[in-house]
Amino acid sequence: MALLLQVLVSGILLGGLYALMALGLALVWGVLNIVNLSHGALIMVGAYVTYFLVTGASIDPFAALPIAAAVLFAIGYVIQRGILNLVIRGPMFNTLLITFGIEVILTYLAQLWFSADFRTINPNYAGSNYSLGGITIPFVQVLAFAIAIALTVAMWLTLLHTRLGRGIRAAAQNLVAARLYGVNPKRIYALTFGLGAALAGVAGGLYGTVSQINPYIGGTLTAKSFVIAIIAGLDNPLWVIVGGLFLGVIESLTALYVGPTYRDVASFGILVLILIVRPSGLLGRAA
Amino acid sequence: MKRIVWMALLAAAVAVLAALPWIGNSVLVQFGINVLLLATLAQGWNIIGGYAGYPSFGNSVFYGLGAYGVAIAMAQYQLPFWVGMLLGLTLGVAFAALLGLAVLRLKGHYFAICTLGLALVMTAIVSNLEIAGSNIGLVLPLHRGEVLFYELALGLLVLATLSVFWLSRSRFGLGLIAIRENEEGAAVLGVNTTLYKILAFVLSAAFTALAGGIYAYYITFIDPAGAFDIVLNVKMIIMAVFGGPGTVLGPVVGAFILSAISEVLATKVTSIASMFFGIVIVIAVVFMPRGIAHLVANIRRTGWRYFAENVRTHRL
Repeated sequence: MALLLQVLVSGILLGGLYALMALGLALVWGVLNIVNLSHGALIMVGAYVTYFLVTGASIDPFAALPIAAAVLFAIGYVIQRGILNLVIRGPMFNTLLITFGIEVILTYLAQLWFSADFRTINPNYAGSNYSLGGITIPFVQVLAFAIAIALTVAMWLTLLHTRLGRGIRAAAQNLVAARLYGVNPKRIYALTFGLGAALAGVAGGLYGTVSQINPYIGGTLTAKSFVIAIIAGLDNPLWVIVGGLFLGVIESLTALYVGPTYRDVASFGILVLILIVRPSGLLGRAA
Repeated sequence: MKRIVWMALLAAAVAVLAALPWIGNSVLVQFGINVLLLATLAQGWNIIGGYAGYPSFGNSVFYGLGAYGVAIAMAQYQLPFWVGMLLGLTLGVAFAALLGLAVLRLKGHYFAICTLGLALVMTAIVSNLEIAGSNIGLVLPLHRGEVLFYELALGLLVLATLSVFWLSRSRFGLGLIAIRENEEGAAVLGVNTTLYKILAFVLSAAFTALAGGIYAYYITFIDPAGAFDIVLNVKMIIMAVFGGPGTVLGPVVGAFILSAISEVLATKVTSIASMFFGIVIVIAVVFMPRGIAHLVANIRRTGWRYFAENVRTHRL
């Protein structure tokens, strides 16, 4: 029983992080109608930015997250303004393919500059944990979970109540009408993609504190983010949290009962199954 | 008359390629095997992605199944190579038919990502299969001499290209094009869209699986990460798209050109070589999204404005 509880807790803590990863993908998909296949690679870049801030400038990893977010926002803004805005009115396949190309470029740049070694971001309190009724809860994971959930909620509030959020939602609903009300589409698209990348950056930094990073983690993380976006639909970030927790728990349970090597079979099996059975998503509006 | 000249030129090109092992050296033959296999993969993708308009990101699944068919037959049961090819072909075709029934109902993003998911699932599943050597892989018996593989790869490419040529002027191929342009419209006009799409997927899978089988015996070692490599999907898609998706020779030309450039880069500037396909994707999608075939047909009329016009029609 304690083992099951322990696994559930780990699954939930991991799931919060998954939710944050998926949030940026869902935002870009919902507003720009781009399924960003380079999203996982942006998470990877965010992880490396945090890693080098921690090891190079000895900043606390959680204090380094805003810097990682800012760097990734700039990268995302430039990618959208410089490349994706040029093809966004083309066929769906073109935008899909071009983000695939960007993922390849980012992965190999990372391999070139950072080498293929596995790395982890280890703050000096990495070993500390809470003990609660026989269950061990690592402090770092709790912090990562809390930040992930807080950011997701903040994102939701931003979309609902700020001028930028209203602009983004207007652009998603009806670009022509939004234009008439003074929304500059080139700018709002670049800002949205930048925001998605910034979320990926924070998710990457947090991922580095709880797991190992290398240049090739992008593809898997994109697919996991996509699974969550499919489960959650695209209209409400709060559903993304539910989707993230669901995936995290399923993966942990699979690791416990079937075997750790079957984790990815479970998460991508869910992806394929959901798409086949109910392609419009499980929760909320159709993605 | 013009067609006869074309046919003669192509036949001559195939004859020169077939004679290459006796003209060139071993390095050239090895390079040739890779190019011919990649061209076959691009041609296979062309059937489902180019003609039917279903952008599969999971064709490496069929490649991996073909490779594992040969590897399992030869390494685990000591069967001859052709039995392995048959096994791989059966696996690939069966997988395409069964899954096609489910995934070909999906459209656009959903189809693309679902097939990408399939590639990831297969890597994970095969890593857990004892008969497939788990995540360590299988070692195949060694066959000396590359000429066999070279001629097999060439034969497969010619077969795939002839099939696509037949397809392009058959009722079946026209049905696929109709599905690509307007699926509901095609259905209304009496095209059995489900059957046509599955047949296209199966045909695509057959050539891809056979290429995987040849590769496995040639390279004599196969593991899950290599057999279901997603980067291979990137390569076959960009080669087909760069050359001209939905044309008979476009994917082959694309594969030859891109492989040659990437080979030169690999010897000169290794760091850029691995990024090369990513850079080509970005540039090609922005400036010539309909490939070389379309470029060649239009550049004389429009000149350099061709590239600017592509950007103008698709930018925000």
